[in-house]
Amino acid sequence: MDSTIKDFEAAIAELEVIVKKLEEGDLPLEKSLELYERGVQLSRFCHARLEDAERRIEILNERGELKPAPASLGLPGDDDH
Amino acid sequence: MRTLFDLPFEEPEPETSGLTPRVPQVPNAPPPDAPPPDNQGSSPATPAPGVRAASARQILSVSELTANLREVLETTFPEVWVEGELSNAKVWTTGHLYFTLKGGGSQVKGVMFRSALRYLKFKPEDGLHVVARGRISVYDPKGEYQLVGEHMEPHGFGALQLAFEQLKKKLAAEGLFDVSRKRQLPALPRRVGIVTSIDGAALRDIVRVLRRRYPNAHLVIAPARVQGDDAAGEIVRALRQIARIDGVDVVIVGRGGGSLEDLWAFNEEKVARAIAACPVPVISAVGHETDVTIADFVADLRAATPSAAAELVVRRKDDFCHFIDRLGGRLDAAMRGRVSRLGSRLNAFLARPGYAGQRGRLAMRGRHVAELSSTLRHAMNGSLSKRTRRHDLLRRALTEFDPRHRLAAVRTRLATRDGQLAHAASRRLHSADAGFKSLAARLDGLSPLSVLARGYAVAWDGSRSRIIRDASTVTPGEEIIVRVERGEIRSTVRSTET
Repeated sequence: MDSTIKDFEAAIAELEVIVKKLEEGDLPLEKSLELYERGVQLSRFCHARLEDAERRIEILNERGELKPAPASLGLPGDDDH
Repeated sequence: MRTLFDLPFEEPEPETSGLTPRVPQVPNAPPPDAPPPDNQGSSPATPAPGVRAASARQILSVSELTANLREVLETTFPEVWVEGELSNAKVWTTGHLYFTLKGGGSQVKGVMFRSALRYLKFKPEDGLHVVARGRISVYDPKGEYQLVGEHMEPHGFGALQLAFEQLKKKLAAEGLFDVSRKRQLPALPRRVGIVTSIDGAALRDIVRVLRRRYPNAHLVIAPARVQGDDAAGEIVRALRQIARIDGVDVVIVGRGGGSLEDLWAFNEEKVARAIAACPVPVISAVGHETDVTIADFVADLRAATPSAAAELVVRRKDDFCHFIDRLGGRLDAAMRGRVSRLGSRLNAFLARPGYAGQRGRLAMRGRHVAELSSTLRHAMNGSLSKRTRRHDLLRRALTEFDPRHRLAAVRTRLATRDGQLAHAASRRLHSADAGFKSLAARLDGLSPLSVLARGYAVAWDGSRSRIIRDASTVTPGEEIIVRVERGEIRSTVRSTET
């Protein structure tokens, strides 16, 4: 992921600021385009993050190791919703 | 019984703590005329040693008397329930509790040994109205009778309820419930930690709700018993473990409904402290809506039920998408407005008197440009189909327009990114999310990038440090760079007109 974007929260916050700036002021065109470009980048990042997380359930055992949740647990799965 | 009684009976008062152990005294020989003891019949047990049955006047040593009294008291009051107000309650370093019970102008001293004390759920404090169960015995060195408590409970108030209030008060005083301590939940958790019983309904509820709201959520479960004596310890261990897992940035801890006793682990101090010490925000989800536990007070957020916790931990994925799309929409609109204003400026430019001399030569072009810029504005506001239609018109108009002479500059630094964005946009179009599809489509259609594709160009100075907005800023012979949709044209200025 883009190293200039810290995390999802930061991306959303920055995107909001950019949109406000663009809406408010008659910025020089270069600046507007720069912000627009950044905005597109941020919104792309946010959507990527939304798809990012792995659909997984893991269980911590006594030794602190992560193991996939066994199907025998009968946890609500893919066909549940 | 006697050794049991004597052994743990520490002397609470410091001034008497140095007393030598009680030494059995050899009784003096009683006078011959001593009357026979009249307590022989009434004493149900064997008389204490040293009592001379035969003497007419029975003289007892202090220890004999004490031993007799002990015998009488212990056999008469093997188990009593006493109600009264606690005072001078203090747990000594030995772990035993010493106290006085007061009531109706009387008082009785009491002791509760560590072995019994540890079963009390609440902390005996001065002023508490309690009911104590125990036996009566005698503390020989002081000649005092005492209640040896085996159990104690608050009067008119459940022991657990009292313990709850006591711990709540204590932790509140430490500031553990302060609002300033509450941490913000991450907007989009990377991994959601769950501490609960592996076979409980709570886990199923949480997983079901999370799956529905956020299908690709990554969950990490740290199993812990949530009921019984080991529960608190297991919850504490699970909390510590799960907080160390990379990516877990929020933890739900809880269980389904039950009695106050069932939920008790969540009212224990060590659980409260483990929640407070957890490096990531914790959501408590214990029992039903009406159940409130100490864990709820310490947690960064209290959920009424486990399902509610799952709803709090992450917004619906759809909501996120719509939110970002709305921002994206505003971003586009703002940029569109900017481009539209540029179009107006272009019109103004074309209408300038200096331009009139060229009218003959440029009449056609001028008309095209004027038409084009208004078309551009309308196209951006119009519907997709309209836009497509006008787009074609615009394309045709622009093909005829020679950018090298009278550059209607809609400048864009995004030019070089055009390919990338188009690529990203088309990739997005294939993503499952409908909300994003529309955003991507809008971005693609409305982006100033497409302006270049429509045939506009950008003129830079030779060093590419400045966009040329004014023909008078370049001089004949100067090299300029003209950026078009595909590639650049290095040009030399022949002449300028303004």
